[in-house]
Amino acid sequence: MDVESYKDLMPIILLGVVFFISAISMLYWSSKRGQLRDFDEQAKTIFTSEEPEGEVSDRFPGK
Amino acid sequence: MSQAPQSNPSSTSPYSSPDVAVRAELSEIDASIRTSSVFFTVSAIFWLLIGTVFAVIAAYKAHEPSFMGGTEFTTFGRMRSAHLNAMALGWGNNIIFAVGLWIMARLCRSPVRHGGLLLIAGIFWNVGLTVGLAGIIWGDITSVEWLEIPRYATPLLAFSYALVGVWGIMAFHFRKGEHVYVSQWYILAALFWFPWLYVIAQIMIIWFPARGVVQSVTNWWFAHNVLGLWLTPMALATAYYVIPKVLGRPIYSYYLSVLGFWALALFYNWAGVHHLIGGPVPVWLISAGIVASVMMVIPVIVVGINHHMTVVGLHKEVWRSPTLRFVIFGAMSYTLASLIGSSMALRSVNEITHFTHFTVGHAHQGVYAFFTMIMFGGVYYMMPRLLKREWPSANLIRIHFWGCAIGISIMLIALHIAGWMQGLQMNDASIPFLEIVQMTMPWLKARSVSGIFLTVGHVAFAINFFWMLFAAGAYRTKQVPTLLTPTSEEGAA
Repeated sequence: MDVESYKDLMPIILLGVVFFISAISMLYWSSKRGQLRDFDEQAKTIFTSEEPEGEVSDRFPGK
Repeated sequence: MSQAPQSNPSSTSPYSSPDVAVRAELSEIDASIRTSSVFFTVSAIFWLLIGTVFAVIAAYKAHEPSFMGGTEFTTFGRMRSAHLNAMALGWGNNIIFAVGLWIMARLCRSPVRHGGLLLIAGIFWNVGLTVGLAGIIWGDITSVEWLEIPRYATPLLAFSYALVGVWGIMAFHFRKGEHVYVSQWYILAALFWFPWLYVIAQIMIIWFPARGVVQSVTNWWFAHNVLGLWLTPMALATAYYVIPKVLGRPIYSYYLSVLGFWALALFYNWAGVHHLIGGPVPVWLISAGIVASVMMVIPVIVVGINHHMTVVGLHKEVWRSPTLRFVIFGAMSYTLASLIGSSMALRSVNEITHFTHFTVGHAHQGVYAFFTMIMFGGVYYMMPRLLKREWPSANLIRIHFWGCAIGISIMLIALHIAGWMQGLQMNDASIPFLEIVQMTMPWLKARSVSGIFLTVGHVAFAINFFWMLFAAGAYRTKQVPTLLTPTSEEGAA
């Protein structure tokens, strides 16, 4: 591919613009859906009745 | 620290819902992804061992060039590139597909659909990589760093990756529960970033090569971002998942973790051109890369504070957990490697470290001391849950940890010191080049010694893993502390 000027890279620049817009859209989406609120509660969503909060769940075996 | 499971009725977690249509028990999710995760882990360990053999040969040849010098297949260039690709694409990607996708499935709270898609992807990935590695050793190497695999193998890799990407999007689309945990952000973003990087680099360097400067800029944009936008987010996603899970304590500041993610997303992709400082590249481009490299201090400090504050006061639990021993070693290495990396991007420092072993040491600090150690931890957490068995040997885990920790420490110290002295001497025109090469010899021998430690660690890991996989019937969940049962009433290990 001969790159004589920036115009030769236009398809890739356009792809980059699409990529950038999708990133900003994700940020906007997360904000609209309440992902950036109530952080303390959201940090606990990984705990379950099978693997509850307050319980150490990994240790060397056999002792 | 609360002892009670979360019981908030307005909770966003559907794990414990009495409604079967909403509920997604972790054990059900684990069972649904077991086959593909085990397949990827087996493949990853296979590549780890192969890559270690290539690494030891390449390291030894650096101070004994005649070693295995009788055939062109084992020349330094081919062995070194075979090592890089076996580790980065063989070990790295397979273990990401194993641990990262398992975490993704758990966080999407939905049993895996179309698990066969992942298996097909896994087969194509490993076949493609085998063809690629054979091509490198055969002599079809492309000579572009990080893209050495010959072009006849890359479509297999791209197809395989596309399947994984489609699976990731489907898993996210069919998720239960509203909240997107920070690990999901990292994994989802990385699943988009990697194909973007790989496809653009393949097009502009291999298939329709751009000329000169554009090609080198693309090369380093790609190579640096494989670490920054693929390995790093996957390792951070693993750390953000297993540290709070093992300790039973939520992440210290969830706000900081989200801030860290977006800061990484904004800054890291600019940083790669710092590899071309001093080269015939527009100065503004290099300067932009340097600014971004220094800006990376923000997400690094944020992640460092968050991980440290989450484990503070629970250091004994960290030491007692095989998972967290590795993960915390990796997390600390992330902070250190990233801060050194930001410094290396400064022109005044780069004048010394460029073209020296310092860069090699830095790369290993990132990919091994940080990424690989965290992924080892992820495997130690994942496998007992997938197989419903505990690890057969605590001693083998210890040998693995100490082999890797001591080995990588020796390597990093040796290469950083050797590289710095080498850089200082190369900037002094009065010192003959061969004298500088001689000066580095003891340090390169130390690197070979580090390879012995790392090999011992990897072999211990492989033995323990396959022992668990094939012969662990007798070791099924015991009454004494296992990795699966609560340990609160048990004594120290």
